[in-house]
Amino acid sequence: MRKMKKILALALAVAVVGVTMTGCGKPAATDTKPAATDTKPQATDTLIYAQGAEPRGLDPALVDDGESAKVMINIYDGLLQYNKDSTKVEPSLAKSWEVSPDGLSYTFHLQEGVKFHDGTDFNAEAVKVNIDRQIPPLVTADMAYGSFVYGSVKDVQVVDKNTVKVNLTAPSTPFLANLAMVMSAPIVSPKALTDSKNNVNQAPVGTGPYKFVKWSKDENIILVRNDEYWGTKALTKNVIFKFIKDNSARVVALNNGEADMIDGIDATVVKQITDGGNKIFQAPGMNVNYMAYNTSKAPFNDAKARKAVSQAINVPELVKSLYQGYSEPANSVLPTFMEGYDKSIAQVSYDAAAAATAIKAAGLTKVHMIAYTNPRPYNAATGQTLAEAIQGYLSKVGVTVTIDSYDWTTYKEKIKAGDYDIAFYGWIGDNGDPDNFMYLLSHEDPTMNIARYKNDEFNKLIAKGLETPAGAERNAIYTQMEKVAAADAAWLPISHAQTLCAYRPNITNFYFHMTGITPLVGVGKK
Amino acid sequence: MGKKYSSNSDGNLIQAAEYVEKPESQLKEMWETLRQNKAAVVGLFIICFLVLIALSVWVSGLLGKQILPYDPNHSDMTKSFIWPNAEHWFGTDQLGRDLFSRILDGTKISLFVGVAAVSISLSTGVLLGSIAGYRGGRTDAIIMRVMDMMLAIPSILLAIAFMAALGKGIDKAVIAIGLVSIPEYARIVRASILSVKENDYVQAAKVIGSSDSRIIMKHILPNIISLIVVRATLGISTAVLDTAALGFLGLGVQPPFAEWGDMLGRARGFIFNAPYTLIFPGIAITMTVLAFNLLGDGLRDALDPKSRIK
Amino acid sequence: MLNYILKRILMLIPVLIGVSIIVFLIMRVFSPDPAPIVLGQHATQLATEAWRQANGLNDPVYLQYFNFITGALTGDLGTSYYTKMPVSKEIFARFPATIELALVAIVLASFFGILIGVISAVKKNSIFDNIGMLIALIGVSMPIFWLGILLIILFSGTLHWLPSNGRIDPMLQPVAVTGFYMIDSLIAGDMDAFTDTLQHLVLPATALAMYSMAIITRMTRSSMLDTLQQDYIRTARAKGISEGRVIRKHALRNGLIPIVTVIGLLLGSLLGGAVLTETVFSWPGIGAYTVTCILKSDFPVVQGVVLLIATIFVMVNLIVDVIYAFLDPRIKYSKVKG
Repeated sequence: MRKMKKILALALAVAVVGVTMTGCGKPAATDTKPAATDTKPQATDTLIYAQGAEPRGLDPALVDDGESAKVMINIYDGLLQYNKDSTKVEPSLAKSWEVSPDGLSYTFHLQEGVKFHDGTDFNAEAVKVNIDRQIPPLVTADMAYGSFVYGSVKDVQVVDKNTVKVNLTAPSTPFLANLAMVMSAPIVSPKALTDSKNNVNQAPVGTGPYKFVKWSKDENIILVRNDEYWGTKALTKNVIFKFIKDNSARVVALNNGEADMIDGIDATVVKQITDGGNKIFQAPGMNVNYMAYNTSKAPFNDAKARKAVSQAINVPELVKSLYQGYSEPANSVLPTFMEGYDKSIAQVSYDAAAAATAIKAAGLTKVHMIAYTNPRPYNAATGQTLAEAIQGYLSKVGVTVTIDSYDWTTYKEKIKAGDYDIAFYGWIGDNGDPDNFMYLLSHEDPTMNIARYKNDEFNKLIAKGLETPAGAERNAIYTQMEKVAAADAAWLPISHAQTLCAYRPNITNFYFHMTGITPLVGVGKK
Repeated sequence: MGKKYSSNSDGNLIQAAEYVEKPESQLKEMWETLRQNKAAVVGLFIICFLVLIALSVWVSGLLGKQILPYDPNHSDMTKSFIWPNAEHWFGTDQLGRDLFSRILDGTKISLFVGVAAVSISLSTGVLLGSIAGYRGGRTDAIIMRVMDMMLAIPSILLAIAFMAALGKGIDKAVIAIGLVSIPEYARIVRASILSVKENDYVQAAKVIGSSDSRIIMKHILPNIISLIVVRATLGISTAVLDTAALGFLGLGVQPPFAEWGDMLGRARGFIFNAPYTLIFPGIAITMTVLAFNLLGDGLRDALDPKSRIK
Repeated sequence: MLNYILKRILMLIPVLIGVSIIVFLIMRVFSPDPAPIVLGQHATQLATEAWRQANGLNDPVYLQYFNFITGALTGDLGTSYYTKMPVSKEIFARFPATIELALVAIVLASFFGILIGVISAVKKNSIFDNIGMLIALIGVSMPIFWLGILLIILFSGTLHWLPSNGRIDPMLQPVAVTGFYMIDSLIAGDMDAFTDTLQHLVLPATALAMYSMAIITRMTRSSMLDTLQQDYIRTARAKGISEGRVIRKHALRNGLIPIVTVIGLLLGSLLGGAVLTETVFSWPGIGAYTVTCILKSDFPVVQGVVLLIATIFVMVNLIVDVIYAFLDPRIKYSKVKG
């Protein structure tokens, strides 16, 4: 009978907790509604930014994802930075720089008196340490961007405390743009690198406007203002990055006052957001979402077949319904704001009747597509949905489409295997240089160049573009490349995704850069 | 999840199995009791209705005829997100496909995966369970340890891992869901066999020299058949839920096939502008699962001698 | 009894080794290559190969397994491919969130399940009984993720009563001592944080609890019905003891024994349900994280998590069996079954 008492006591305890729970839930809940901000004293000097996924880490050399970049841009500075409204580079930790006439050595003059968050000095030695860890012999296999950003670097020389000289193996016009990137290029405190065994993913130390405080896994990252910042100090004291995977859930969080700013939403929720009294920020995106034909085998080794299929797809209509006006239909590989883009570039235009005739003539009846199932930054609707939409267009011109879709990891393997007629992909611009987009079509690796496109004329233009210094002459080379690519129709560019952000009305100066980053230094909260 | 409970209540099952009489009369009596159970009859009625839909959709598909109001897989970008109206009873989805047609079409996949997955787990489970229970000793120990291993991993995680490794597809979903519920059947069958093994007629059959497989097939399995029917009915409801969960996580069927969980997963992004895309597939899943649960419960009550006395 | 427990514990070892082999085979042999996702959009075949080599993925599988198991025995589960953090750290950063959610869910499920079950049994065939059973039936039939989304739409999206995601308002986050925010906020003496934690728990715990609650309700009802027909209850009634007292003092006590077992078993299975609940509510727990890692082919993490969950699961099962044997003297464990 003793035992029975115990069980009864347990049941009672259960009951008590249960009642408390439900009891607490309700009255407290009602007061969150009208004044979520008033109950918390610190809320006015804290910005809460809700993003769609947890950053991978906060060591610029070890990560590759946009979510990490959004946090890192607030912790670190690089030698250079992008202009607020374009991808032109501006001074940052480097006050000024000179390039030798042969394009092989770059001398940077550094800001003086800058300190890292851990109190150590920023100087030429720090720059050397940061570049050296990402070039041979120190570079490791998991440094995602080292070879991209510093691939052309031969060595780094410390000239004096505030001057550093970088020597290249071959002239590379995109090199300066690389130094403004948030991947790989930001300068990390050498002391922190030593302390954290060359991996500051969890303990980042930079020179930026915010200092890292704490990271609760899968919940949030908390930053606090760097009051010793060498540049213009941040307006708001605390910044919290929250991770909410589901798009609709982020909208609920914004309208509920659980977040001040959210990103990565799609057009279907715009009305919900504005109805809630919140504001929308629409940023152009440095990306391209495309469909690629497998040019290495029949039927699409024939440009005529490629053009016929492209002709059957009404890209503007497709983009409008799929992305609800928040992606621009793509006429070119390059986003329109980039150097090298020109209005004269155009793809095969929609003509269902002509397409049907051409497809019949080519004897094309079946097409095998592969697609990815997860949303990507350049395609919020997922590759699978895009493929299904295109399936509808092709069925109208008598082509039966079979789609195999895979999660991203498996998809990459299928791309490598090459067993497809049509595949879907996209590209997120790294450094704002046109080469960064166009080189995909000349790449030898089939996981980069998924159309398996080979054209000697095109490849020569790529080589020429790399050596030519920035300017009109260089831009013309890229316009030329676009035209060659459009004539061959190896890709059907679908869209350039815009970044759609939303913020609460009391947030001032919110801004999202086209490279996918959100410097919060100038953002205030009323 | 419920299966964890039932698979561990071997004690009850042994008890139940002890009441087992002659197989024919057993099934017949079950049916008589079932008929008096209103809830179970409703469940059975819904199931018949769903099967009818699935079969007619499937057969008409084979004959190349369209009995659904619209082609469920045909996308038309000019018609995306039309709210439910007289033309599209359940509205249209992002790709302009008619949701009513897609939900009806989805019946086919959910029922097929449910039944096929249960067939896999049932046949394999019965086989392994009979061998383990009948042979005993080392064979038993090895088989049941492997079953324990599989039971120790949450079945949904195991199914996700299978799907991630095998890739999407109806066939693969069937295999993944079928595999993860094998241990449940194996344990039930083994427990029942342990309890009937010592019965006189089994011993008698042994004495007259019947082969092991003959004894299992002729004397043991018929005696636990009603128990298996109950488990299988409830198993289908679990399999339908698991299919939906995989689809929801984006691991279900290949496009453009309509699968309810997959439809829910996609609808999640549009809860504000098109909440109806979320409501109807959810109702379809719940209704199907509910029907199999009602029937399964009814069958269990019919089988349970205690409730028969009542 | 002691022998039985010892024997059961010894039997766990082959089970856990088996689990590690199953998960190892699924991941390392059949799953896609993690390299492309680790290296991102610049993953050329050359870089991929170098990375695989550096991470031992080109070794024969048995060697990889040997390295994994020797590591695991010394407490080193390896490093996540994706975040380059030790797996044990990644797991324990998220584990308390899942346990807290599962415990609150089981408490909710037990409380309401037993309550509804008892009333239903006592007032058999009344309108309350019928509604209770209908709810229980729908509870086991609704996909948990659908229920979760509906709850979010209603209580967060429309009524704005409750938060839709996460464990706590980040501004109120208590200093992590145990990782359980309900306990940590009490240690810190911060009642605001405590209430906020509870508010965040309401929706996900309800969604997760629904299924278990339905099972417990039905079990309680049938168990109570059984008990109420027993002779000693009739005797008690005949002695003129009030009906309420009969139910509380006599029926409930005996009727609860099987319920305790079910609750224990459900606790283990809640870990599975947590996978979907966490995904819907952005709950920073181990379930949603594991799914992400499976899809990213982050082998070391998946191996670690599955091993941990399996250990917990078999331990819970063992404890339940022991409690059951302890509660019910009729069960003798001289012969080990199963």
